[in-house]
Amino acid sequence: MRDYTRAVWAIIAKDATVEWRTKTAFLSAMVFAILVLSILFFARDPTAVSALDIAPGALWVTFTFAAMVGLNRAFLLERENNAMEGLLLTPVPRTAIFVGKMGGNLLFVALVELVSVPLFVLFYNVSLTERLPELMLVTAMATLAFVSVGTLLSAMVVRTRFAELMLPVLLLPFLIPPVVGAVQVTARILAGRPLSEMMGWLKLLAAFDIAFVVLSVLLFEATLDE
Amino acid sequence: MKPLLDAHGVSRRFGYRKIFNDISLSLGRGEVLALVGPNGAGKTTLLRVLAGLLKPTTGTVERHGTVGLVAHHSMGYDALTARENLAFAARLWGISDGDRIDHLLEQIGLAKWGEMRSANFSRGMTQRLAIARALIHDPDILLLDEPLNSLDEPGTQVVLDVIEELAGRDRALAVVTHQFERMASVATSVGYLVGGTLVGPEPVDGRAAEAVSQKYRSLLASA
Repeated sequence: MRDYTRAVWAIIAKDATVEWRTKTAFLSAMVFAILVLSILFFARDPTAVSALDIAPGALWVTFTFAAMVGLNRAFLLERENNAMEGLLLTPVPRTAIFVGKMGGNLLFVALVELVSVPLFVLFYNVSLTERLPELMLVTAMATLAFVSVGTLLSAMVVRTRFAELMLPVLLLPFLIPPVVGAVQVTARILAGRPLSEMMGWLKLLAAFDIAFVVLSVLLFEATLDE
Repeated sequence: MKPLLDAHGVSRRFGYRKIFNDISLSLGRGEVLALVGPNGAGKTTLLRVLAGLLKPTTGTVERHGTVGLVAHHSMGYDALTARENLAFAARLWGISDGDRIDHLLEQIGLAKWGEMRSANFSRGMTQRLAIARALIHDPDILLLDEPLNSLDEPGTQVVLDVIEELAGRDRALAVVTHQFERMASVATSVGYLVGGTLVGPEPVDGRAAEAVSQKYRSLLASA
């Protein structure tokens, strides 16, 4: 078990170091986040639609598509210099490789979300101080769902010629259920509704988390077959 | 003595395209097998099958020990330094001995460039790093795919020394090469992969490189 954990951490640390050195995915994701948040804000008619009405959708469109940049890069990094073969030659269990890559993606997406939230507050003039724990909870749950399935699909498409185009096409249908749930919960959080009103959606998100994580871990090995 | 690597009736296809057929070979301790063959003969594919990266279409491959592979690509990360690349590989192999990395960097002549990102390496330096990476866990079986590519004369000598040293420590090695004359001093056997079949392996003790080249040319002519 210690070897498993060590391998997972080694992969997360390696991915974080590579991203820290290059910053390509993070900067792209942040530019994208700023663009989406600002365009959606200025595109509405302020006399007809309040900022609060579109805020939940804007937040989750930003999170989802900014995360896609990182997910796209996840296994392209392993394709560079055939690094994936270097991983496969080691005694590290295949599931540890997946969990490590997923951990790296979660770290990346969490960082993008962390930087996007203040921008979101700034643009949409929402107060999150009182409901921050709830927002963090729903963000963590939805992020886990789409990062797990995104990591799996990233591994699946990396060997195709148009990996960067294929990933969004395959991933977006899987994102609809968790992101719809996240938008619903976020809307209620921003409207100041009680937590009890959101329990149904939160349970649904928890079910997606369990299903997506378990299936992704189990199916990862199949993506490595020739 | 039980061989470290044993392949029986191995064949490999990609779709309908046959790469090689019914190959059997074994690698014992201290053995250095040189694999020669023309471009596209399937030498790299055979090495990948022996390493376990590809499944054979038919046949079996048994490995009795850890495997290291030096392939055409470095299997490293450009954004990491040479030392970080080796440290990452070491962690995956469960090796915590930091001296091992220093020793390998010294052995392959990269000690001065250990802190340089591998993106800035020349092809020869990248090749040296790939060799160090394959050696990080001191493998029982080392498979090398054209390891002398891109290497200058001192680099070539370093690789030949590494091969000799590993064979002296009872490791088993298979080396794909187009430069048998450079490998003649360290190879103990030679196999000719021509037309999808393996001729040999046969011992090369005391045989001049020229004799191997002659046989190789005649096999190519009759293929």
